[in-house]
Amino acid sequence: MATAILEQFINGAMMGSIYVLMALGMVLIYGVMHVLNFAHGVLFMVGGYLTHLFFFSWTGSYPLAILCSMVALAAIGVVLERLVFRALRDNLRMQIVSSLGLILIIQNGVVQIWGPHALQMRPASVETLVKFGQLSFTLQHFVIMGVVAAAVVVLYLFLTHTRLGTAMRATSQAPEAAVVVGIDPNRVYTLTFMIACALAGLGGALLGPLFLIFPQMGDAPMLKALSAIVIGGMGSVPGAIVGGLGIGIVESLSTLVIPTDYRDTITFGVLILMLLIRPWGIFGVRVRGED
Amino acid sequence: MTMLKVQNLKGGYGGRLIVDGVDLEVEAGEIVTVIGQNGAGKSTILKSIFNLAPVREGEVLLDGKDIFKVSPYRMLVTGLAYIPQHHSIFPKLTITENLRMGGYLLDDAKLLQERIVKVCEMFPILRERRDEFAASLSGGEQRMLEIARTLIMDPKVVMLDEPSIGLAPKMVDLVFATARRLAEDGKGILMVEQNVKKALLASDRGYVLELGQVRIQDQAQALIADERVSRLYMGVRG
Repeated sequence: MATAILEQFINGAMMGSIYVLMALGMVLIYGVMHVLNFAHGVLFMVGGYLTHLFFFSWTGSYPLAILCSMVALAAIGVVLERLVFRALRDNLRMQIVSSLGLILIIQNGVVQIWGPHALQMRPASVETLVKFGQLSFTLQHFVIMGVVAAAVVVLYLFLTHTRLGTAMRATSQAPEAAVVVGIDPNRVYTLTFMIACALAGLGGALLGPLFLIFPQMGDAPMLKALSAIVIGGMGSVPGAIVGGLGIGIVESLSTLVIPTDYRDTITFGVLILMLLIRPWGIFGVRVRGED
Repeated sequence: MTMLKVQNLKGGYGGRLIVDGVDLEVEAGEIVTVIGQNGAGKSTILKSIFNLAPVREGEVLLDGKDIFKVSPYRMLVTGLAYIPQHHSIFPKLTITENLRMGGYLLDDAKLLQERIVKVCEMFPILRERRDEFAASLSGGEQRMLEIARTLIMDPKVVMLDEPSIGLAPKMVDLVFATARRLAEDGKGILMVEQNVKKALLASDRGYVLELGQVRIQDQAQALIADERVSRLYMGVRG
């Protein structure tokens, strides 16, 4: 039993790390611009496809393919912010509707280009096994956890120790005040989208090789990440980390006691429970009258 | 020496012009206050000067240089600072971080550090509580932080939109005393105020604004003595 628990714990921490990446991106966008970007899941998926593309038809190196796909996603983020979200600034409902529309456009665009079938890529880290007694995991499991941990640390340092990162927090707290100290909120919004999309791309690039790359691969992680930020507290970065890891581990451990098919029920059950007893989340604060 | 010169300034938000052809000047070392009733266009004057009003025309010169078309994000570099009416601190940044954001446009890290040390000497309370969130400061202290934050860029002219609003009388005096210190330092101060008597007592000159136009301009002392001003704005029956 102990080994089974450990195995599911590691699996859960790995999936949880992926949720953390997604949740961080969504929390950044929500925190700075107050928009929930539902298209985050398809950007994650595009990250998987682009990594596949760069890996096979250009670089041949997995780490390099990941980097290229993050850069590409950052560029896509700039385009989305400028063309879609900026045009709809101050219209929260339309921004949400258009983020839903983007899902359709991007998902069907990918089907058009790559077809509906799943793609596979198997870099060395997926083929290499790491053994602990009876248990074995792919090296990719640990790559994912390590890379996500590093990404979280880098993001934290960026937000707390750099001028731009501090300006991002400043703008999220008081956009009118940002203007009078010389911060152009539009540049901050673009930067936020760049970072968030690059993180989504990183997630797809990390998870794609472990499972498969297919047009719906981002749907479940997006919903889990959304649950994670609600559970952690809307807009809270620590909340996104704790919520994401927590959901990954809980859903994974739940498979020990109930059939795997009910895994998502557990996640969303936890979400509903949270909404009932502490709707502002673990790290959130109660806010009145926010629409 | 004229630091800020505004000529035939018009500004608004589309539709009717809120500011309709205003001329005003601020000299180095002087405090100038614009008074007027609600809706007279006091705040809009400052926004129009700072290029924050969507519709505007006219001329704005800072220390002889035309800054009318400078984007609001670069205004501080030209030497013009603006403190809006509603609290404009960053509540969940520390006081030090707030001051650092005051130097967002400053690329020289060493100079930024020097300036932060300098303003902290001027406002000891900020140094004492530098690692606390700005939200933990009282209303008056937050005003002080806003003023301190603009000083990081060493502006030539500081514009304050109703600096006394919502403050206890003692804090109001402190804010006006601070404005005087800045003026003694050679900066030009342009204030917009509803607290007419106190503001005029703290000022050198004043403008009375009505429906977007300057009706009266004079020395502050003369405005206090002016029967029309006291009747309309200081609640004295004439």
